[in-house]
Amino acid sequence: MHGEYKMPGGKLVVIDLEVREGRIADVQLSGDFFLEPDSALQAINAALEGQATQSTEADLVERMQSALGADVTMYGVSPQAIAIVVGRALHEGTNA
Amino acid sequence: MTRTDWRDHEWRLIHTVPQSPALHMALDDVLTHEVGAGRRPPTLRIWEWASSAVVIGRFQSLRNEVDAQAARRHGIEIVRRISGGGAMFIEPGNTITYSIYAPLSLVKDMSFQEAYAFLDAWVIEALGTLGIKAWYQPLNDITSEAGKIAGAAQVHRGGAVLHHVTMAYDIDAAKMLDVLRIGREKLSDKGTTSAAKRVDPLRSQTGLPREAVIERMIATFRRLYGLRHDVLKPDELTRAQALADGKFSGAEWLGDVA
Repeated sequence: MHGEYKMPGGKLVVIDLEVREGRIADVQLSGDFFLEPDSALQAINAALEGQATQSTEADLVERMQSALGADVTMYGVSPQAIAIVVGRALHEGTNA
Repeated sequence: MTRTDWRDHEWRLIHTVPQSPALHMALDDVLTHEVGAGRRPPTLRIWEWASSAVVIGRFQSLRNEVDAQAARRHGIEIVRRISGGGAMFIEPGNTITYSIYAPLSLVKDMSFQEAYAFLDAWVIEALGTLGIKAWYQPLNDITSEAGKIAGAAQVHRGGAVLHHVTMAYDIDAAKMLDVLRIGREKLSDKGTTSAAKRVDPLRSQTGLPREAVIERMIATFRRLYGLRHDVLKPDELTRAQALADGKFSGAEWLGDVA
């Protein structure tokens, strides 16, 4: 499943994922945002992997925030924006 | 570390013969590292392109952003850069690209938004002397009344910041739209429905040859901050060539975000 979200005042946030047994799987976050260090991308994917599809946006935000180190900086993207795009993929996503 | 100003540094200019897209990616990697390690003075590098390319951002999905078949058909190489941001469609005579490699002290305590505008202030001034009233459009665009002119990206490595910018001198919008997948969501808050309308080239706004625009940019940087000609050191070029032939030409890096 695929979702896209243009964060207001930010950049395009894209997610590709699968659902297996009620859980999020094979997560790939992408977009034209900025992340430092670049390894944070894989950390975010890993944090979302295995989360229940019933998770609320607040659940996912908390999950990402606890997984990301204090040294991670984001520009044009945020945990909130990522949670929104996950919701879009799950609830209105296309099977692209 | 205390904040430094432009004039606290002895700026070097590297402006060389046309180089391959992969070598440009590699030179940004190597020169950022060298400035961060204090082995090279802060440097402005003007790029000359040996061939057409699509340069995708560090975090962009290869398959979501680029029509690989269309790129092949047009003979366009696809490379991934080390900074975030969006895809650039490059044709050698149509693009003006530059990199600034600076110690982090130059942007110390600045927000990202401030650092982008600060590192391109000289370009806004150079465009002004050419009659273009341009301004910084957060997060990372240079724009004018007529449309977007350029896009910037930054990455921090060690003790240095890399700030690089691609400006549209001219554009084959039809070819760009053939190769780049620009979705509706991306344009949702841009107030326009046509991707081609988003970029307005410098050629139409200045009436000057590309080389004259570059000359004015270099002259403006030199007047404001000082600038001395320099060349790539043999070991810088050797290391960059090895990275260009390896990492930056390899499927693993290009497909890192599939």
